[in-house]
Amino acid sequence: MSAGGSGEAHAAIPENQLIAFGIIGGLVGIYAAFFLSNVAGGVFSFMGALGAICATIWGADAVRRVASYGLGTGVPSIGMLALGMGVVAAMFGLAVGEGIGLDIAGPVIALVVASIIGLVIGIFSNKVLKMNIPVMEQTMTEIAASGTILIIGLSVAMTGTFVFDVVLDNVITTGYIAVIFIAGGMALLHPFNANLGPDEKQDRTLYSALEKGAIAMVIAGIVALSAQNASAGMVTILVGIFIWYFGFMGFYSRVKRDAYKVVGTGLLPSEEELE
Amino acid sequence: MIDIAGLIAENIIYLLLITLGGVLISVSVHFVPVGGAPAAMAQACGIGTGTVQLAAGAGLTGLVTAGAMMGVTDNILLVLASGTVGAMIMITVTMIVANWVYFYGVGCPAASAKVKYDPITKDRQDLYISQGTEGHALTTVSFISGAIGAGFGGMGGGLVYYALLKIGEVAAGLTVKDIMSTTGHELVGLASIFAVGIFFMNAVIPSYNIGGTIEGFHDPKFKRWPRAALTSLVVTFLCAILAVVTLGGM
Repeated sequence: MSAGGSGEAHAAIPENQLIAFGIIGGLVGIYAAFFLSNVAGGVFSFMGALGAICATIWGADAVRRVASYGLGTGVPSIGMLALGMGVVAAMFGLAVGEGIGLDIAGPVIALVVASIIGLVIGIFSNKVLKMNIPVMEQTMTEIAASGTILIIGLSVAMTGTFVFDVVLDNVITTGYIAVIFIAGGMALLHPFNANLGPDEKQDRTLYSALEKGAIAMVIAGIVALSAQNASAGMVTILVGIFIWYFGFMGFYSRVKRDAYKVVGTGLLPSEEELE
Repeated sequence: MIDIAGLIAENIIYLLLITLGGVLISVSVHFVPVGGAPAAMAQACGIGTGTVQLAAGAGLTGLVTAGAMMGVTDNILLVLASGTVGAMIMITVTMIVANWVYFYGVGCPAASAKVKYDPITKDRQDLYISQGTEGHALTTVSFISGAIGAGFGGMGGGLVYYALLKIGEVAAGLTVKDIMSTTGHELVGLASIFAVGIFFMNAVIPSYNIGGTIEGFHDPKFKRWPRAALTSLVVTFLCAILAVVTLGGM
């Protein structure tokens, strides 16, 4: 269980496994989409969104761990902070990767830079702002890094590549980056924000993260319809809808498990019945 | 290969302007009467939503109005004035509508539990507070404080945006005015998403500093602003270096 302000969150899945899942899954997804971009007309660009979903689950768990101490302000703030750090680091990483003539280094540079920014904010939050949350430094680093993978992953799902010029033309100049910003931020902040309370369970929160990540994936697929081609976009949308269904049913079955009772309220009573 | 040291030396003035803008945004949030969830239930003084939403609403309006001015002129003072006024209009409209809701919808007067007398109007506060609440609606001092805060926020946002475009200007070989009046210029998108990222970071840092709620410059928590300013200084400086390398290296 984990309510806001109640201290350390109890977890069934250890955090180290989720960190490894997020980093490895995220990078494998992004690089697989990149290297398979010439195969079968770019239909494998959906792998980037799968990487983004891995990062979402990891990031949502990090949000859960830090926000269960009580941030003083709402959980949404940390999602916006994550994507704020993420977007700066992601753009820097991809641009520098292209600048040094080694595009494939971009996501890794972005990940490292995001971790540094996150660590600095984490240290300052505890030492200067005196928030006194023991896991602040570690979780801030994780949140920044997962936000970065999320942004790059969704960009790859949209364009099929993380080469900076292509991302700049098809994602940033067109304004789709704002969609990534809000849909990605929502995927990180919403799971814990929606589930927090004395009966919060880790698996329910993470299923909610999976479902939110899948919605972001479907949106990335819709963008890919115009940014790439119809087949790449449709594959991303269909895989996204399938994952969404799996995530939503998993979430709903855990809601039924954790609730005292789930009852149908029926339709609204008619005027005669109320009199 | 990108010459990182050279880029930073070349753009040192814009690096400092971005940092200054970030600190301005951070300080500005302390002025805005953020009530959070309690204020949404008319149980605390302030606007009933979180810091990030308010700062984003006002600050991003500032970015838009500053951007609109950049398409017309290269004069930095006019750009900043436009950003300032845009953000101030946004937050004052928000506050006046919130007050209508509190006065005519909820049916409570504006009162603050943090001070006995309103520092500006000298009106007695404690007599009007409903039992068990920390105050409700927006008092005159909170309203004026909010307008000042939004002004700083809009100015800071405009400054960050302008400095980012100025860095790109050198690389693109166009003036800011020309970049802004070209439809779909890639610099505009990149600079604006950087500005939004820096803006959100500097809106969240002070909200952690004040613990989510504040009434304005008369609130005891307002004295904590140097902490947030220091944090924002360091964090924005880091981001500014990244921005210089990204935009300057294009």
